Amino acid sequence: MKKVKVLILRTAGTNCDWETQSAFELCGAAVERVHINTLIEKKDKIFEYDILAFPGGFSYGDDIASGKILSNEIKSKLGDKVRKYALDGKPIIGICNGFQVLVKMGLLPDVKLFKQVSTLSYNDSNKFECRWVYLKTEKKIGNESCCIWAKNLPDVISLPVAHGEGKFIPNNEKLLDNLNKNNQIVFRYSSKEGNEPEYPLAPNGSAEQIAGICNIKGNILGLMPHPERYIFGLQHPAKKSFNGKYGWGKVIFQNAVDFVGR
Amino acid sequence: MFKIEILTKKGFKNPRSEHVLSDICGIGVKDVTKVEYSPLYIIDGGISSVEAETIACELLSDRITENYIVYLMQSGTERYCKVVSKSATEGDFVSVPSSDPNFSVIEVWYKKGVTDTVSESLVKAVKDLGIVKEIKVNTGHKYCLYGGVSRTILNIIATKLLANTLIQECKIR
Repeated sequence: MKKVKVLILRTAGTNCDWETQSAFELCGAAVERVHINTLIEKKDKIFEYDILAFPGGFSYGDDIASGKILSNEIKSKLGDKVRKYALDGKPIIGICNGFQVLVKMGLLPDVKLFKQVSTLSYNDSNKFECRWVYLKTEKKIGNESCCIWAKNLPDVISLPVAHGEGKFIPNNEKLLDNLNKNNQIVFRYSSKEGNEPEYPLAPNGSAEQIAGICNIKGNILGLMPHPERYIFGLQHPAKKSFNGKYGWGKVIFQNAVDFVGR
Repeated sequence: MFKIEILTKKGFKNPRSEHVLSDICGIGVKDVTKVEYSPLYIIDGGISSVEAETIACELLSDRITENYIVYLMQSGTERYCKVVSKSATEGDFVSVPSSDPNFSVIEVWYKKGVTDTVSESLVKAVKDLGIVKEIKVNTGHKYCLYGGVSRTILNIIATKLLANTLIQECKIR
C-alpha cells in the first residue's frame, strides 16, 4: 500500500517540525520537512503530498506579531496553491504558530473567503503561558466531531499549550455564531470535568474558550495546544495513556493519515 | 519618510498597557492612572504614501484588533508633516493636547548602530508584499501616560522600566 505523504513546512524560527514529523511517522506516514524557499521555487511540489502541516515555533522571531510575516509570505507567494490544496479537501493542520499562520492568512475559518476575519492576539495575562490544559472536544454530529482530525477522541482530553498570543478573537458576533452553527469549533479549553475553566486552565482569554477551529468541510484544523507533544503516555506529567502506551495527540495525527489512506 | 503608529481598537484589551501601568505602580508611582502602548515604525526609502498604507494595513496592523495612522515626515526631522492615511477612528486617537500637564508621551528607540532584528524581518516582509524598493526601518515603542507626573519621575519610568539604556534611548514629551 502506498504511504501517505506529509509535507511539514518550515522556515526561520520553526521549532516543532521534528516532533510533528515523528508523530506522523509513528502513524505510518512518509514525512518531508520542506523549507518555504524550496516550495516557492517549485510551487507545484505541494500537490505531491497528501497532508500539509504548519508546525509550531516562532516563525521569523514572532516579529510584528506571531505568524504574521510567514502568513504574509505564504499568501503573497504560494496563496493560490495553498488555497487550491485546501479546496481539494486535503488535510491541513496548523499547530500553535501554524494556527496563527492559518488564521492570519485567512485559510481559517473560511478557505473560500481566504481573508483574515479572526485573529489570535496577546494572552490576557500578557505572559507566555506554558502548561498542560484540558480540552473539551466538540461533538455535534452523531456524537462525533465534524473535523477529520478530531475523530475517536473522548469528551475531554489534555494537551500542553505554550504561547504568548493565543487569544482567539473573531471580528464580530456573527462570525462566532457561524462557527458554532457550522460546528467549526473543534476544541475548547475546559476544566477537568469539561466545564467552564478559570485561569490558568483558561490560558489566554479566548472567545468562548476556543482552542481550535476547523473549516466547514472539516479538513483544515488549527489549534493552539500541541498534539505532537502528547504522542506517548510517558510525555504526560501523570504518565496517562489511552491504551497503556499512546497519548491523545497521536489520535489526531492518526485520524488524518487514516483519512487519506482509507 | 513615513512614521506608522499602530493603535489598539477601542473595546479591545491591550495587555502591554496594563502590564506597564502595573509596573509603574510597582515602583511606587501612584499618579499615573492609565497607559496606552503603541508600536512605532519609521520607514525610509522612497516608498509612496499608497505603499506606506499597504505596509501599515497588510503587515503592521492586525485588521481585527488594531488600527493604524501613517504620518509623512519631513526628511531628517522629527516633525510630522501630516497624516496621510489612517484606519483609526476618533475614539482610537490620543486627542489630549501635548501641553496638558496630565499627559506625557515616552518614546523608546534603538540607539544608532544597535541591531534591530524586527526591522530586518520587516524589510523582508515588505519585499514579500511586492514592494521592491530598498527601505530602511526603525522600530520603536510609544507609551502615553495619563496623570500628573514630574519630569524627574518620567525619566525614572523611562530609564528604569521602559528602556534598556545601554541600547535604547528615550524621548519624553
